[in-house]
Amino acid sequence: MNDTELDTLLAHARTETPADAGAADRFLAWHRAEQAGTALPSPAPRARPVWWPALLGAAAVLTGALVLRPAPDLPASAAYDAYQGALGEGW
Amino acid sequence: MRRTLGLAGLLLTGAAHAADVDDLTAALRQARTLAARGTAEVSVFFPPRAVPTRTAATLPAVPFRPALLAAHFTVTRADAPPVAGRDVTRFDLVPKVGQAARWTLWVDRAWNIPLAYEERMPDGTLARRATFTQVQPQAVKVKRGVPAIPAGLRPAVLAALPGLRLPPGFVPTGVKVRPAGGLEVTLSDGANVLALVLAPRNVRAAPGVASRRVGDGFVWLVGNLPAAPLRSALAGIKSVDLAGLGTFLAPAASNP
Repeated sequence: MNDTELDTLLAHARTETPADAGAADRFLAWHRAEQAGTALPSPAPRARPVWWPALLGAAAVLTGALVLRPAPDLPASAAYDAYQGALGEGW
Repeated sequence: MRRTLGLAGLLLTGAAHAADVDDLTAALRQARTLAARGTAEVSVFFPPRAVPTRTAATLPAVPFRPALLAAHFTVTRADAPPVAGRDVTRFDLVPKVGQAARWTLWVDRAWNIPLAYEERMPDGTLARRATFTQVQPQAVKVKRGVPAIPAGLRPAVLAALPGLRLPPGFVPTGVKVRPAGGLEVTLSDGANVLALVLAPRNVRAAPGVASRRVGDGFVWLVGNLPAAPLRSALAGIKSVDLAGLGTFLAPAASNP
């Protein structure tokens, strides 16, 4: 596409057509209706979200999981140590 | 006639085994007061360790219990090549029942004390071996012993762990408190030992280690036995009640 063709295309885009006018009218009509409908007294300010109970709950769950979690199995060397103690000295 | 001869042969073989047991017993008793010194090669493949073989100036101790050994092993004497240049007699010990390890001892003919021994699993795999490679000309006096089995220990252990099935040939020989909590019962068949551990925590499965939960704690059985007999010894335990074992506890290690 050369410059001349590009200029022509942009010129077409800038030219208002009846379709454009209709679209603008429809938007303005809708927008005015919206404005009229929401012209109500502003609602009371919303209460600030309370975040600390959630944090407290999460901490409690985490602590419970850590305390109640079964102790991991000892390595087999713990068993062999007990056997070694019964084997006799010097092995 | 043939049957009579067979019976006579059997009786003679039995008498020969009995004599062999007596000779081995005499050697094991002698080893409590006399020991050879020199250079010994000590190999341990069970329990597994990073460096299995090392050298030592004397043979490591084995808590042989001659009375139990005579009851649980068939002992056979044989000739053997010298050990560390000294004439020896070989004694082969095979368990009469169960799958416990078998032992071979090489006993010095002049001193009547072991110069080498080895422990093999039933499949022939070597578990432990200690043998002199060089021996000093004189044996030295020592004082070694194995603590006597407390009277009434066996029924007390069986009462503390109802449902426990002691592996064939093994009896409890001692109880001690574990530093990390719990108790440790030593079982012996005269040559082999097993550690029966009552612990608050479980232990990972491994060769020679079986364990299961009983009540709030865990019971482990550790030793040179195949997995099946280790597991079946523990399988029937219904509960643990250590109250009756208190009187058998070895005094705690000195803690000044």
